[in-house]
Amino acid sequence: MTLRALLFSVALGAASLVPAGNAAAESALQQTGALPRGGTYVLSPDSTVASAAIGLWFRAPGAGFDDSTPGIADLAATAAAVAPLASGKSLFALVHSVGGELNVEVYPDIVGIAVVVPASAARRVVAAITAAYYAPAVDDVAVKTARANAAVLGVQQRYETDATLHDLLFKQIFTGGPAHYPPLPTSVAQITSVSTAQISDYAKRAFRSENSILALTGNVDASSVTAVTDGSGAGRMDPPYDSTLAAVPASATALGLVGGIGLAWIGPPITDEKAATALDFVADYLFRDETGVVSKALDQAAKDALVVGQFITMHDPGVMVVTIGGDHAQAARDRVIGALSAMRTPLDAQTFNAAREAFLYHIASDTETPQERADNLGWYGVEGDPTYAPGIVDGTYARSVRALDPAYVADVVKHYLATPVVVTMQAKESSQ
Amino acid sequence: MNLARYGALVLTFALLPMTALGAAPAVPPPSIDTVAGTTVLQQLDSAASLAGVTLVVRAGLDRQTMKQNGLAALVAETIMKTSVGTPAVPLEDAVAARGGSVRFTVDPGDVRFYAEALPADAPAVLDLLRAAIAAPDFSPATVRAARTALIQEIAASQQVALQVGLDMLNAVSSPQANAGLPELGTPASLSDLFPSDASAFYRAYYRRGGVLVSAAGRLDALSSAALSALAAVLPLGTTSPVTVHVAALRGTTREIVAHRDISSPWLIAQYPAPGVDSRDFGAMLVLAAFLRRTISDIAQVPGVVSPTFASRSVGAVYVYDRVPSSLVIYVNGGLIGNPSRTFATALSVVNVLAATTLQGSIEEFKAAAAGDFANNATTLETRTWLAAVFSRESTSPDFINRALAAISATTPADVQRVARTYLGNPTIALVLPRGSNLQD
Repeated sequence: MTLRALLFSVALGAASLVPAGNAAAESALQQTGALPRGGTYVLSPDSTVASAAIGLWFRAPGAGFDDSTPGIADLAATAAAVAPLASGKSLFALVHSVGGELNVEVYPDIVGIAVVVPASAARRVVAAITAAYYAPAVDDVAVKTARANAAVLGVQQRYETDATLHDLLFKQIFTGGPAHYPPLPTSVAQITSVSTAQISDYAKRAFRSENSILALTGNVDASSVTAVTDGSGAGRMDPPYDSTLAAVPASATALGLVGGIGLAWIGPPITDEKAATALDFVADYLFRDETGVVSKALDQAAKDALVVGQFITMHDPGVMVVTIGGDHAQAARDRVIGALSAMRTPLDAQTFNAAREAFLYHIASDTETPQERADNLGWYGVEGDPTYAPGIVDGTYARSVRALDPAYVADVVKHYLATPVVVTMQAKESSQ
Repeated sequence: MNLARYGALVLTFALLPMTALGAAPAVPPPSIDTVAGTTVLQQLDSAASLAGVTLVVRAGLDRQTMKQNGLAALVAETIMKTSVGTPAVPLEDAVAARGGSVRFTVDPGDVRFYAEALPADAPAVLDLLRAAIAAPDFSPATVRAARTALIQEIAASQQVALQVGLDMLNAVSSPQANAGLPELGTPASLSDLFPSDASAFYRAYYRRGGVLVSAAGRLDALSSAALSALAAVLPLGTTSPVTVHVAALRGTTREIVAHRDISSPWLIAQYPAPGVDSRDFGAMLVLAAFLRRTISDIAQVPGVVSPTFASRSVGAVYVYDRVPSSLVIYVNGGLIGNPSRTFATALSVVNVLAATTLQGSIEEFKAAAAGDFANNATTLETRTWLAAVFSRESTSPDFINRALAAISATTPADVQRVARTYLGNPTIALVLPRGSNLQD
């Protein structure tokens, strides 16, 4: 690791794993196809790096198939990763033994298993990850580990303004369906109330081969696909797990371990690529760290406030989320609202062209590593449109960006970004 | 986990089965050319979305006198603030408007500029960088803007305890006092530097001798000539470091303490380490991987497999891209219950490792080292920089294959030798919140 990388990683702590909703340009060699025993793969090779990223993504409702077991997707995905395989070693242990990293990424409607390993281990990990998930053998020991893991992550998230506000905003926007519930269990009672049998059943139903997309990026080739070990080969991918929108989403106040303000707007579905791309552009132009108009203004004001804004592309609908932390959150909120209001007037051509070119660059920069590319390909694939995944050279996404114009962006802002749902989270100490 | 258990773990050095991996796919090495007297390294990556170019100029910290602390950074920042293009705007803004980015880093011996852009924009972005480097604007207004930017950046870095600690440790470990100065200077030292100083430094040290251009990614629109042209704008000539010897402080302790406006203490230990051309390089990579995993396990919540605040609160990093190289172990006291105990345990692991005979297989740690190296060398900026680092003393900039080969060839005896050679006597930095003291 270089010194710059060390300081950057320490400063970031836990970087958000949600694809930025923006990315661009990839290899013309990108391939898609059917896996040997059901499911599909997306391959984006790059033989000039020494690592490979393997992402296995599923459509899977976070709170269970009847929304009665919040957190079950996380428990099942983790348990499958730590359960012993036929070799006696779990997927998690195998990945670590070959010098890799494994992360379980759980969202309201989808689950992703993200692995990055030295290229020499790619085939072995493809075999292991498909064995672990396509034929999950979840036992009590694995569930115990998954519960401990969920308990720690749940407590940890209470100190993370962005993630906590994100969940609270979704709870206000959606009255039912998986997005109404936090992806991570929020209490010990929730964690322990789900039995091993329930988790096992969930894993077998959600983690079917035909319900998955395998994303392979970095120094891998199509022969890796032949390493897939399991899968039924029958059936189709589940339909998307969309959630029920509130008729009139209400704002709310909540107590938390950290304070902050969250703003959210309901956006277009993934099928409205032009509008979704326009909102990605708006988020990049206003809120990107260091270069965003709002971010730069806050930096120059030297006020303690951190604004994170992104449009989250989902099947239907997407959501624009802005979270604000720090001691000057209220002033930052006013600045956010002001900046969005200004966007209702079309930018002048010169400003717009520069911002659009910068956006294209940011997209490419955000999908530079094999891991970032695999995340994006997996996410957009299971949300419903793999061809729209940012990171494909001259693909749909890049064309959508180039097709944007100032008037259209202003219209999208007027249409979607009017009155936000607001969640104000007060830190418990200051509220008492 | 208690210390005794970790001592046992180190003694056996993990009796683990040989990890059966496939052969590592060959990664094409960077090409190396000399174009019009300039060394040009290229890594063509047709799967990349961007083109990235690093320009290394021998105008780093060791070209400053002690009184010129911050001058190398002031010159580089002035280049960033120099207006270029049409309409004329500061370099960093002009590059951003063309769809790219540019930044600089000051190293002990070099200053390096890194520019990145979409492939089609890359020639124009390099033109902008070349224009700014060829004729920096040393007017009072531009130098003032550069100084202001640096002071803001310094203020921000002073909130990053790890950076504060590393600055102190680097100052101690540097064989040349000026090369160990803070990379950006200090607000006080910058206030004593004027446009004439910046201009004189530029004229003296921005020379073509020793310049290196390293490029990676989609280079279809960038020829070797276009890359070497970055250096061609500089006048011919070579420069030498300013030799500054300062007698080492004598004391009974190797601890440095600083207080900053931070919320929690940080504990950082620095050991000397071999450079990338040393026969000990591979073994130190393996050793660093072992330490990183071991102290992460010490800090991690038992039974938890996901990365947590606790597991991220500690780290071991082999900084091989800086001269002199070092191994750094750190503990962030804000994310862990008892940082002193964790830190002491980590140092004890190092001591045990250096003092006892190792037994068992090291294959798993070799795999971890290979994984860490490969997975961290994926961005274009890192790839261009590592190619430059590996070509410093050697004719081969092939960082990936050289590093993986060095790791593969490492034996337990090598690890033992390296532990004994380098891990004897750390220098320790404690960065504490204001108002606290060591007893806290």
